[in-house]
Amino acid sequence: MNKIKIIIKREYLTRVRKKSFLVMTILGPLLISALWVIPIFLSQATDSQSNIIVVDGTGVKEKDAAPLFEGKLRSDKNVKIEYMNDLDKAKLLLKEGSTEAVLSITRINGMPPIKSFWYHGDNEINALAMQDIETQISTLFKDYYLKYNCGVSDSAIAFINNPKVDFYSENINTGERTFREIKMVLGVALGFMIYFFIFLFGSQVIRSVSEEKMNRIVEVLVSSIKPTQLLIGKLVGIALVGLTQFLLWIVLTFAVVTAVQNAMPERFASVQQGKITMNEQIANAEQLSEPTNDNPDIIQGLFSINYSVVIGCFLFFFITGYFLYGSLFGAVGSLIDVDTDGQQFTLPITIPLIIAMVCLPTIMNNPSGPMAFWLSIIPFTSPIIMMMRIPFGVPGWQILLSAGLMLITIWGSVWMSAKIYRTAILLYGKKITYKEIWKWLRFKN
Amino acid sequence: MNILQVNNVTKAYVNHLALDNVSLEVREGEIFGLLGPNGAGKTTLIRMINQITAPDSGEIMLYGNRIKASDVSLIGYLPEERGLYKKMKAGEQAIYLAELKGVKPSVAEAKLREWFEKFDIIGWWDKKVEELSKGMQQKIQFITTVLHEPKLLIFDEPFSGFDPINANMLKQEIISLKAKGATVIFSTHNMESVEEICDSIVLIDKAKNILQGSVRDIKQNFKSNEYEIIVPSGIENFDMLLPEGCSLLRSENNGDTDVHILKIEKGKNAQLLGNILQVADIVSYREVLPTMNDIFIKTVQGYE
Repeated sequence: MNKIKIIIKREYLTRVRKKSFLVMTILGPLLISALWVIPIFLSQATDSQSNIIVVDGTGVKEKDAAPLFEGKLRSDKNVKIEYMNDLDKAKLLLKEGSTEAVLSITRINGMPPIKSFWYHGDNEINALAMQDIETQISTLFKDYYLKYNCGVSDSAIAFINNPKVDFYSENINTGERTFREIKMVLGVALGFMIYFFIFLFGSQVIRSVSEEKMNRIVEVLVSSIKPTQLLIGKLVGIALVGLTQFLLWIVLTFAVVTAVQNAMPERFASVQQGKITMNEQIANAEQLSEPTNDNPDIIQGLFSINYSVVIGCFLFFFITGYFLYGSLFGAVGSLIDVDTDGQQFTLPITIPLIIAMVCLPTIMNNPSGPMAFWLSIIPFTSPIIMMMRIPFGVPGWQILLSAGLMLITIWGSVWMSAKIYRTAILLYGKKITYKEIWKWLRFKN
Repeated sequence: MNILQVNNVTKAYVNHLALDNVSLEVREGEIFGLLGPNGAGKTTLIRMINQITAPDSGEIMLYGNRIKASDVSLIGYLPEERGLYKKMKAGEQAIYLAELKGVKPSVAEAKLREWFEKFDIIGWWDKKVEELSKGMQQKIQFITTVLHEPKLLIFDEPFSGFDPINANMLKQEIISLKAKGATVIFSTHNMESVEEICDSIVLIDKAKNILQGSVRDIKQNFKSNEYEIIVPSGIENFDMLLPEGCSLLRSENNGDTDVHILKIEKGKNAQLLGNILQVADIVSYREVLPTMNDIFIKTVQGYE
């Protein structure tokens, strides 16, 4: 027992003191924060505004009717709009290069009674800008049509444009509301974390084991300590490194995000402001339902989740998932020698992980369907899939069944890996085949 | 007293029998050579003494008791395939390996510094192993094998991969370990070193113990009454000088002298020497004992 501690200590300290650990610890939170912060910055970037001149020829002089669109198209982050009456002048400006495009709108006989022409120079028009204006024109035209040809009121038009219908769902047994989206996000995030952890630190187990074999230090080690103890010490040591790193990531990510938010409150405030004003518009438009705000929903949703179950299950599947795969990766590592690589043995082990990720969308659509059920029970996919299901609420017996199977499988995989490991680490310069491994496993000691 | 006793040990692997009912004993304080061709089962036996693998049947006794896990601190082992962590610092790594043998880190460090001084590598204490020359790494491997002052030292092919200077150093250290009372087992192909330093040997071939005993006894048993006589060249009809019971195996001219190898039956020496002395002087006369190399080859081939 004492010797396992010595192994754990070395595995832990050598890794934590490495430069790469420090780099990963710092880079991780920056990357995670960047995922969150960069889209906000990008959405506020204004340098992509296209200058567009609109020549609105839809006014009818004889009837003294004003042009339909002049002054009504809005400039926004994609386009900056200017109006002119003279198409030729506008084209001249386009040729000079002082505008990016000219849009000429004319009246025709037919339905719809307007037609638009885009003029551009050597550069094509920014697709986003075109789409933006075309959408605006279509909407405006639809509004005119509804108002003047169908006699629909302004408020009704506003509602048609934003027909936000709220859907509520609740559990008939508990009477609680379900918050599907929030649970989906949480489930996917938790599943991903486990997937990531298994891959990142599982591959460290492979490297660590094969390194000892290739260094030829392993025989010295196993003359002092049992191979199984060495393997277990290694698995635990690397697990502790992983947990340390995750803990640091969580703390640092939180710190970075808070720091950025505090350093530039105006940027984030405007994002939130934008959301609220949009919500207000919608709320004003909809007279039929009560005005609601998104934020309380999120908070309510977050409160609706049973965190003791989520955290408990997360820790359980996080650790057992790692040990299941870690022990197998340990066996794979022992098969690698200077002139052989472990690819052929790594692939079959990683397939269940990949299956779990591929099945993710299906499972998110139906988190209690048969596919979700089976994949969350089968031990090789259960750490990821069960974690995705947990926020939606999983019957207790399923969690217990899955956990029980997991523990049995870990026992089996550690037993099997130890058997392969202790034979293979002392086998130098020999190509090992599946057939041979199978013989070792059946061979009684 | 026997420090180590191997009783009827058998070990089978998936595809072959590695040891077949092997028994041997090692007396305390001797240097014991474990000989045999490649794949004979030497490393398997050594691994069993180190409890890396267990015998299928039979037993291994240390000081008269069945060997147990805590005995690893009594044994120092330098495997044939040996190495160190490349990225770990030399001193730190040596302390780690000593700790695994049950030495307290503080004690280990003090002792290690002495050894590092002795081998003139103390300046490399804080350097990563990959920065050290191969010779220095071998020194560290040797130090970590003997640091915990084991009663029984096991070297598997210690001279392979060592440069001549380090090999000689190792030989001297083995002899001085013996002087301090340690018992040394080593397996080797290097028959010269066997003659030089081994007290007894065992020869294993095809999983079986085929020859065992003290080096002196074995040589005596294998001698074939061959003698080498060197005389000045130019003796005519040398054959005629041989009495009955003597036969000339081969002759060689070395300029001023002739070297004759003779097979002489017991009790015929005096007559032969008398005959020769009548016509010439004798430069040298000695019994030719077989080398361990000859015995090794003869026994293994005879067994096959």
